[in-house]
Amino acid sequence: MGQCALSWAGGLFAAVASDKRRASSGRLVLVTCMHILASYNWIKEYLHTDLSAEAFAKKTTAVGNSVERMDNLAERFDKMVVGVVKELKAHPNADKLRVAVTDIGKETVDIVCGGLNLAEGMRVVVGLPGARVKWHGEGELVELGKTTIRGVESYGMICAVEEIGFEKLATGEKDIWDLTALTDAKPGTPIAKALELDDTIFDIEVTSNRPDCLSIIGQAREGAAVLGATPVMLRERQHVAGSRGTCVLEIKEPKLCPKYSAVLIDNLKVGPSPWWVQKKLLLAGHRPINNVVDITNLVLHEYGQPLHAFDADTLEGEKIIVRKAKRNEKFLALDGKTYALSNDMLVIADAKKAVAIAGVMGGEATGTTPRTTRVLLESATFDPVSVRRTARSLHLTSDSQLLFEKGLSTQATGPALERAVELMVELAGGTVISEVMVEQATAYTPHTFPFDPEAAKRLMGVELTDKEMRDILSRLGFEVHDGQVTIPFWRDHDIENSVDFTEEIARMYGYDRFPSVLPEGALPQGRQVSALVWTGRAKRALAGMGLTEMYSYSFVSEAQLEHGGFNADNAVKLRNPLSSELAFMRPSLIPSLLTAVEANQSRVPSAALFELAPVYLLHKGDLLDEPLCLVMAVYGKDGRQAFLEAKGFVERLMREMGVGELSFERLVGAPHWHPGRSAKLLLGKRTVGTIGQVSDDFMRAFGLDVETVLVELDFESLVPLFSTAKSYQPIPTFPSVKRDLAFVVAERVEYETVVALIKKSSSLVDAVELFDVYRGGGMEEGTKSLALHLTFRSDERTLEAREADAEMETLRGVLTNAFGAIMRS
Amino acid sequence: MKHKLDQLQKEFESVLSRVTDRAALEALKNAFLGRKGKLKLLLKEVASLADEERKTIGAIANEVKEAFEVAYGKKERELGTRESGEQREREWMDITEPGRAPREGHLHLTSQAMEEITAIFSRIGFESVRAPEIDWDYYVFESLNMPADHPARDDWETFFVDLPESKKGKMVLTPHTSNSQVRLMEQVKPPIRMININRTYRRQMDITHIPMFHQFEGLLIDKGVAVTHLKGVLDYFALAFFGGGRKTRLRPHHFRFTEPSFEVDISCGVCGGNESGACRLCKGGWLELGGAGMVHPRVLEAGGVDPSVYSGFAFGWGVERTLMMREGIKIDDIRILYKNDLRFVTQF
Repeated sequence: MGQCALSWAGGLFAAVASDKRRASSGRLVLVTCMHILASYNWIKEYLHTDLSAEAFAKKTTAVGNSVERMDNLAERFDKMVVGVVKELKAHPNADKLRVAVTDIGKETVDIVCGGLNLAEGMRVVVGLPGARVKWHGEGELVELGKTTIRGVESYGMICAVEEIGFEKLATGEKDIWDLTALTDAKPGTPIAKALELDDTIFDIEVTSNRPDCLSIIGQAREGAAVLGATPVMLRERQHVAGSRGTCVLEIKEPKLCPKYSAVLIDNLKVGPSPWWVQKKLLLAGHRPINNVVDITNLVLHEYGQPLHAFDADTLEGEKIIVRKAKRNEKFLALDGKTYALSNDMLVIADAKKAVAIAGVMGGEATGTTPRTTRVLLESATFDPVSVRRTARSLHLTSDSQLLFEKGLSTQATGPALERAVELMVELAGGTVISEVMVEQATAYTPHTFPFDPEAAKRLMGVELTDKEMRDILSRLGFEVHDGQVTIPFWRDHDIENSVDFTEEIARMYGYDRFPSVLPEGALPQGRQVSALVWTGRAKRALAGMGLTEMYSYSFVSEAQLEHGGFNADNAVKLRNPLSSELAFMRPSLIPSLLTAVEANQSRVPSAALFELAPVYLLHKGDLLDEPLCLVMAVYGKDGRQAFLEAKGFVERLMREMGVGELSFERLVGAPHWHPGRSAKLLLGKRTVGTIGQVSDDFMRAFGLDVETVLVELDFESLVPLFSTAKSYQPIPTFPSVKRDLAFVVAERVEYETVVALIKKSSSLVDAVELFDVYRGGGMEEGTKSLALHLTFRSDERTLEAREADAEMETLRGVLTNAFGAIMRS
Repeated sequence: MKHKLDQLQKEFESVLSRVTDRAALEALKNAFLGRKGKLKLLLKEVASLADEERKTIGAIANEVKEAFEVAYGKKERELGTRESGEQREREWMDITEPGRAPREGHLHLTSQAMEEITAIFSRIGFESVRAPEIDWDYYVFESLNMPADHPARDDWETFFVDLPESKKGKMVLTPHTSNSQVRLMEQVKPPIRMININRTYRRQMDITHIPMFHQFEGLLIDKGVAVTHLKGVLDYFALAFFGGGRKTRLRPHHFRFTEPSFEVDISCGVCGGNESGACRLCKGGWLELGGAGMVHPRVLEAGGVDPSVYSGFAFGWGVERTLMMREGIKIDDIRILYKNDLRFVTQF
């Protein structure tokens, strides 16, 4: 669910991610999957069913409304009862605590409590021993026991709102929850019963194409379709209208605001909502504020249509103008922050000023306050893309914006407005003083698409009758006539194509009923992408030799580029990087690998690492080149040893990959490489890479304390040369004769020169193997001792010992002459 | 003759009883049982006897020979036991010393998973392809039925390269592997069975998200391909990758480039699919694997494939996620995956 609707779920731990997202709605992550907290009791106001919550959850999950969590409130509030504080006594050992003598029905108990507002006669929530509460509103639930607090025994706990999960309810700091006004239930009554909390809350994941399901009615509609029930029809509202008030609606941007409707209500008394409203909001994750605001939130949750209430007395000029913001127009929003708007953002304005960022948030200056008596109630439709882009560029999210940006039907505004009006009258004493004013550029016509039952069956692979399919569609509110399907308004934005009906039918039929069949048919050609095949083989071979694979981000920072000797101007730059650390696509694996060495050197003093991955190079006028590169890093105390080890690795790799012998050509004047320990890697005359210890400058740039030898190979260009071809060498018929040769030469005499001379000087030498190099103790400065195994062999006959000895004699002479070698044996 | 044999046997036993080491035993073997040994010589004499007697004496001679061999073998074992006892003392070693380890190499967790996934799909004919990691908007979004104003095409969600647009739109760091779909359809005619595993990028980084991760994308296009076939292939993979006893389920979902679309869940290996929701790893007995669906007709059209003739399915899952789901590996902070900390990498 991480980023589900963007494309295939790619998040790593998406389940966690969705919780996170809900927890911090202000943070901008990819909000393409949505969640609704839906009370089962509330759903059942619109859907008659006797199913248990578990059974309902299972059925609705199967058709796409994934219930991810269920919160059984009776369980959550188990062992919590109404208590009445009979007497308050001072705590003998603590100034800030008191002992509340509390009637919990069957008995009266002492409970130690620090609540500041505690008073005799108060009705409170008592968590009995065994109840589970959130200690100080934080962390996991903790089970209460009988405890002794500072020397006084306490029977459970008198709870504050945050301790039982209602932290969104406004109370004073350090107050306990005063139920006196909410219930007159007898002491000892379970809280779930006293506060009508015998309910189950579903946490349902809703896909981004179904904003209609982000509402109680939407969930009831889906539930009814699954159960084959009829959803309870929306109640006919009494059409209330007056003519006292009026307001001119002017939509300057009909594309961005296809419909705007509003009504004026007077004589409102702003105050707290009744408990049933607060309860619904709390359980839906909203914060109760006051009756007017609560009503808009209640309707948003119930109908899925956002509303906004302006204090009509703060609107100037009796006019609502829907227009684009002025460049850099300043706007103080309800969250208390001032936003600088840009001229592509849509605002709602009165005659003089912006009063709301359309669909996103209202303004502080025109919001409902405790003194408000007259409101203009807005129910409108806004362009989803405009709302989304505005919210994203302002870093401002709201429940209303989350709905609008998914696309809502213009037909949804009316019922929601009527429901809100009804509640304003009922709960806030309001009087409707205007008609419902509506401004709509284009009249609504329902969408229709053709439906081909045969194509649907073919795609499903399941035999259904036409009637079964039509029934399913009509249960979902589609009307099917003569192969044409009319779309219900709440699906205006999501049904785009005939193939969409197949999904509706398939999901309602139930995917668990689809058989599982392996496809038959011709197999493709058996093509292999050799770069992929050889990448796998090379990685395996390297790991087999004892190297550990590194895997870095493809991104590098400008600093890494510079340290690596790359000009940032020639590197591939991101237009919108996450941070400057991740601003460029790497043109080489070396900076990443040296960074890896640096990260590990203090804990692992020597190691052999590699990475095989693409690098990213500009290719004028086309997509980037993404050639594969291979870099090995061998590091440790001794650069010379590391060099030889690295050389061994690359030579062995080349053998494994079936290419010819590498040759090494000393590098001169390469600033990043050690001046005495670096070479070009050649295959024939072609340069295929570099081996070398990194220069001291390089070490400093990357903060390396260890001597590090790199091998860099242009893997991509080697791929065509790699081969699995095998060739057979006959096994020699005649035995060989082995001799050892040890001698001292000057340090600068290169081994390969020595070998070349030996081979040139004796036709019987079959193989030369270096088995020891010695420097230091007992040796003259600047010299080294080489010890070789020599193998002599003839293809025509068995060599005699004396023949080999004669060859040895020759070789000694030649080596002495050519290099001043001093024989050691 | 019989007497001679008796004599020889006595002599043999007497010599054997004095043998205390391998050299003496070897000498005895040569003296009595060897090619020119005493028994051999005697047996030659037996050969020259008359028929009747030769039979009788021959039988006795064979018994003697057998007795020699048995006695010799017994002695040899005796010596062996004693020698082994001496060797045990003389050549005792501390077998609890650590073994001499060859240098230990490690493939990164991700490479291991990619190799395994590729192998499974290759067994049912899915060929690995190579698609650009950084591709034109057209292949990444436009051709996949994602309209210009789709949120994924916003700067907030997807990385863009700071280079001029081409006729095929902006240059995009692929946020999914699905760019391979239309690219392949342009190159190859159906039947198509393809797997594309690649790096993918999204603008997110926290303990559960990293800006670079990997996906594998499967695509099958042929005549008459139906939802039931998608189910078949997913079940095949689940069985091969997760092992027997695990179940899959399809949950309706929404993706722009497939219709119908699904989330694929697999029954939890930790709780065995317990629906009570008590398991800490899964949700109600199920773990979410990833997305799948029937290729949207508009995507087929974009790839030049006639949707009235061909149909297909596609799926795209996170590599890292799928692997961790199997192993039950829980990583507190997912960012460690690509930090190259040897203490992490060498665990796998």
